[in-house]
Amino acid sequence: MLKRLLLLGVTSGVLAGIVALIYQKIYSTSVGADFSSVVTPVSVMISNLIGCMVAAIGYWLLSKWLKSRTEIVFNFILVILSFASMLPVFAAKLPLTINSPELFPGLAIPMHFFPALAWSTLEPLFIKNGE
Amino acid sequence: MKKIIISLAAVLSLTSARAYAPAASWQLTDKYTVTFAGGGEVGGIFKTLKGTISFDEQHPETSGFVLSIDVASINTGNGLMNTHAKSAEWFDAAKYPVIKFTSKKITKSGAAYTVTGDMEIHGVKKEMTLPFSFKSSGSTGTFSGKFIVNRSDFHIGKPGGDVDENIKLEVTVPVVRK
Repeated sequence: MLKRLLLLGVTSGVLAGIVALIYQKIYSTSVGADFSSVVTPVSVMISNLIGCMVAAIGYWLLSKWLKSRTEIVFNFILVILSFASMLPVFAAKLPLTINSPELFPGLAIPMHFFPALAWSTLEPLFIKNGE
Repeated sequence: MKKIIISLAAVLSLTSARAYAPAASWQLTDKYTVTFAGGGEVGGIFKTLKGTISFDEQHPETSGFVLSIDVASINTGNGLMNTHAKSAEWFDAAKYPVIKFTSKKITKSGAAYTVTGDMEIHGVKKEMTLPFSFKSSGSTGTFSGKFIVNRSDFHIGKPGGDVDENIKLEVTVPVVRK
């Protein structure tokens, strides 16, 4: 179980990272704001991987305790944490060389939901119902 | 006697011409910086500075500045703080789009200078005396100044809170002779 969860964590982390990089490219091109110096491809991939690996370990720990109700509780926690992670984005202080910090939340906030989306998309492939 | 009078007249006219010769004009380059700090996390830059500068190091009394800062160009590094700073509660950028300083008198004090002039922020005009230095090198030079503005003097924001009353400003303006 843990092995499959870790594999799900890595796979969904990579998927979320790729989607985030594509979104960043589209966003930068469409609004003309460049945040590539603070949101680097490496930091995007690493943060998505870490997020999804933490989710995998969290799921495994919950499954030890909650058994059949793991998925519903896990999904609630995942969504709540995704929403909560928006707050630091609004408070972020960017380097003064970056123009239009007003446009930064428009880039970063959707990215905070990509790990949850990637996890939910790939989860049925790794975890069977009732497991 | 006639020669002496003519010579004296010539010397006087040359001296007076030198005394009232207009100071050299300098053009601002785009490498200027206008930074401010108001305690803790409060701080940032103004990105747009415009103005005219005429300045003579040897005769500062013939010199003069008119500088204006575009309030909407404020950048604190945070979008919400930028919006807040431009709002009616603080700078009210829509109603008072520029911060303006017009010099009235420039004097030399030691190796540096002081400029007295009218500072206009948020629709309030107040006479201020600000220290600055000037370093020249050929046809280029750099004006630098550090000073404090009390925001309550200009009715910016509410007294107290997270933002200090005294805002520290640091201005560096590289120039080239016109």
